[in-house]
Amino acid sequence: MTSEVRRRPAWVQALAPRAAGVVYAFVLLVAVLTIASEAQGRPNYLRAINISNILDQTSLVGISAIFMTVVLITGNFDLSVASTGALAGTVAIKMVDSQGPAVALIVALLCGAAVGLINAVLVQKVGVNAFIVTLGTLTAVRGVVQAILNGNSITANNEAFHVFATAHWTMPQGVAIGVGVVLLAGVAYLATRSDHRGRVLGATALLWVTGLALFLIGLFQKALLDQTLPVWLMIALTVVVSAVLRYTVLGRNLYAVGGNPEAARLSGISVDRYKMGAFVLNGVVAAGVGILYAGRFNSVDPTVLTGNELTVIAAAVLGGTSLFGGSGYVAKSVIGALILFTLSNGFNVLNIGSNYQNVVQGLVLIAAASLYTATSARGRSLVRDRLAAMRARRQAPSADRSEEKELTSAGR
Amino acid sequence: MSDLPAPAAVLEAADVRKIYPNGTEALRGVSMTVRHGSVHGLIGANGAGKSTLIKIISGVETATDGTVAWRGQAVRWTSPAQALSAGLAAVHQHTPLVPAMTVLDNVFLGPARAVTWDAGARADELGRLCDRIGYHLDASRPVGELSVGARQMVAILQALARDPALVLLDEPTAALSPSERDVLFRSIRRLRDQGTTFVYVSHFLDEVLDLTDRLTVLRDGRVVVDDATAATTKDDLVTAIVGERLARVEASAPPPHSAGEPLLVVEGLRSTGRFGPIDLTVHAGEVVGLAGLLGSGRSELLEAIYGADPAATGLVRVAGRRLRARTPHTAVRRGLALVPEDRNRQGLLRDWPIWRNVSLPYLAELARHGLPDADRERELAERAVTDLGIKAPDVDTLVGELSGGNAQKVVFAKWLYGPARVFLLDEPSAGVDVGAKADIIQLIRRLAEAGKGVLIVASEFEELLSACDRVLVMRRGQLIGERVAAQTDLHELTALASGL
Repeated sequence: MTSEVRRRPAWVQALAPRAAGVVYAFVLLVAVLTIASEAQGRPNYLRAINISNILDQTSLVGISAIFMTVVLITGNFDLSVASTGALAGTVAIKMVDSQGPAVALIVALLCGAAVGLINAVLVQKVGVNAFIVTLGTLTAVRGVVQAILNGNSITANNEAFHVFATAHWTMPQGVAIGVGVVLLAGVAYLATRSDHRGRVLGATALLWVTGLALFLIGLFQKALLDQTLPVWLMIALTVVVSAVLRYTVLGRNLYAVGGNPEAARLSGISVDRYKMGAFVLNGVVAAGVGILYAGRFNSVDPTVLTGNELTVIAAAVLGGTSLFGGSGYVAKSVIGALILFTLSNGFNVLNIGSNYQNVVQGLVLIAAASLYTATSARGRSLVRDRLAAMRARRQAPSADRSEEKELTSAGR
Repeated sequence: MSDLPAPAAVLEAADVRKIYPNGTEALRGVSMTVRHGSVHGLIGANGAGKSTLIKIISGVETATDGTVAWRGQAVRWTSPAQALSAGLAAVHQHTPLVPAMTVLDNVFLGPARAVTWDAGARADELGRLCDRIGYHLDASRPVGELSVGARQMVAILQALARDPALVLLDEPTAALSPSERDVLFRSIRRLRDQGTTFVYVSHFLDEVLDLTDRLTVLRDGRVVVDDATAATTKDDLVTAIVGERLARVEASAPPPHSAGEPLLVVEGLRSTGRFGPIDLTVHAGEVVGLAGLLGSGRSELLEAIYGADPAATGLVRVAGRRLRARTPHTAVRRGLALVPEDRNRQGLLRDWPIWRNVSLPYLAELARHGLPDADRERELAERAVTDLGIKAPDVDTLVGELSGGNAQKVVFAKWLYGPARVFLLDEPSAGVDVGAKADIIQLIRRLAEAGKGVLIVASEFEELLSACDRVLVMRRGQLIGERVAAQTDLHELTALASGL
């Protein structure tokens, strides 16, 4: 082994397509849509109302994707989120008129926790495959929803959930600029204090990007400071969960139990506790998302949220989360969700017709997953070897006599 | 070499170089000639370039420079399948087999010679194959039920079923018991006499001396010895492999000392079907060896002490306090540390850099208010790299990129700087070269000098003799003997462990 290996600096790695590809893809998509709608003489695609629209549409799937990513990081899989959300929404709408919003909320969230716990116990303690278990709970919980609703849709009179799910909150301009400045200053302070500036900037990317965004939006685009509560919730949860995963012992251990459960266990980490915790948390959050979704129209029907779990998983995969556990970033999963909803929004805005939406979304997902695999360490060496083989083959026929020399130079 | 069509050379590597994209220069001009009908030994320390050379020869990787000639023709294989169809079969330490399928199915996995699966003909063919190598096994048993050694034989049969001209054996004996090894060697000799050529890669020098006709020793990506085996001695080889760090293993005879307080007390520990009941004590400042063959229950015992076997019952005390909750989590909090047998599967996160691996067990202790302190973690890892002589560009190197010996040192480093008082080491030097092995034995002695208790399991009893104060012998799940290391020898331990 030689000791002089040049490693690219942390920030270069962080900006490489492999790490930040989903961000580039999102920017590219928005740029294309902006130019296309400009070319068709439609109103500016990036106007505040449209951005707010996309964000609001994304918010619930985005929140789900955050916690789905956590489950995926621990090496598990959860298909039951949409059914759990439907159950919680149904329970909340059903109970809110008679019991009041607080009780309804708590019972609904407990339902989510219960489904999460069932998943957790079956997967971690009994040892059934997570895909099968959650496929089962997906079906069974949906059945419970159908049994409760008995084919009818119900509407609540109490408007509490509706008010919450659709309320707007405007972040005061001063607060936005202030928080932005504080975050930027904090990162700058850390960076100047450390000997490894690149490393600090890489490790705190989420903080200074958020800070910069708030600062710029506060100064130049204050219309964007008015968003619905679910949007603010999505942003806050993204920041908080990212920070927990990135900066705490808890987060490190979550990655460890997904990356190599046996090594983590023998290192003294309670693997089951982390993996089960992720399931239960995911159940509670799925319930919360279900309540918000039901709150939008203050009603539920038996098919509410059907198929939503696949959108959530698609968002996480678009964001580069590994289905084998041990890697993933919640912020990227949220961007993955944004891509999905920007696509469908773009179809509507450009009036292309929604028939092809699913085709395009599916293709985008497959393309992203292929790219991630191809640019992974293994994929890269595979591609390199294939190229080398092709070069060698091309050189070989023309060099029958001095074959060895030719082959040698082809390898360089 | 154009005027060298020498039919005697089956495989010829000339001035092969390999530089990895990250800049690591694994091979710096290696030449090797494997002659027809011989067993050619390939040895070298971890990181010497052995694995790289094997990968290039068998088509897994391509050389940056230099040529590989197969039966006089320059070739540039880009996949193992090409090598295989040319007649070069490789058997690796862990050849993937399909556990649920039978021996017969596994042996004939892959090559589709006919559309229909003629089980009778296949069985006959397998029978002939078994006759050729002089080893028989039940063809209808699922591979998953076989011992590690028998599986290795299945992997070799699988290679032979393709009727190769050259078989590349990569550490075939690492998991074999002595009797299984004898069978393997007998088979290799028989096949050689029938004209099959072998390249034999191993860490075990006596095996290489015993079995091979010629040998090549690599060090730091260069050939340092290329000679007939008869012309070399074990001492030559050790010198060639390790260079200047000669034979420290032999030199480090444990100093006599009085044992301290009992640190680890095990009473009546048993796990049905695996081992037990077992009583043992490890004192502070003492290194205790657990000598046993594969399947004797030795690794299972270590895991049970550590709380990793939920079915185990019995009493385990660490420094006088009983471990009530039987989980690794509790064991670690009470001061136990385990260096597991399979470091890649059980000990390391290969996608993580060195520093994150090192800090894993005691991350909470290193953290401030639940927030890991990356600077402290890096400092710790840098200290470990220096203390243990881990060869890596820096602590950001991914563990998966390290050689076996260096990766094993990282597993040790995980526990060295925490509060661990009792170290359970399962095959601490498996797949590790002579130099790193000496380092590890010294490390173990240092742990004992610092007042820790150490319990080691090792297949190589020489290692136990050079590292331990006491040796416990385990056979079929029972402790059947105890010897003071200074008053016993290899023959006695081997005899006890194998029930002679």
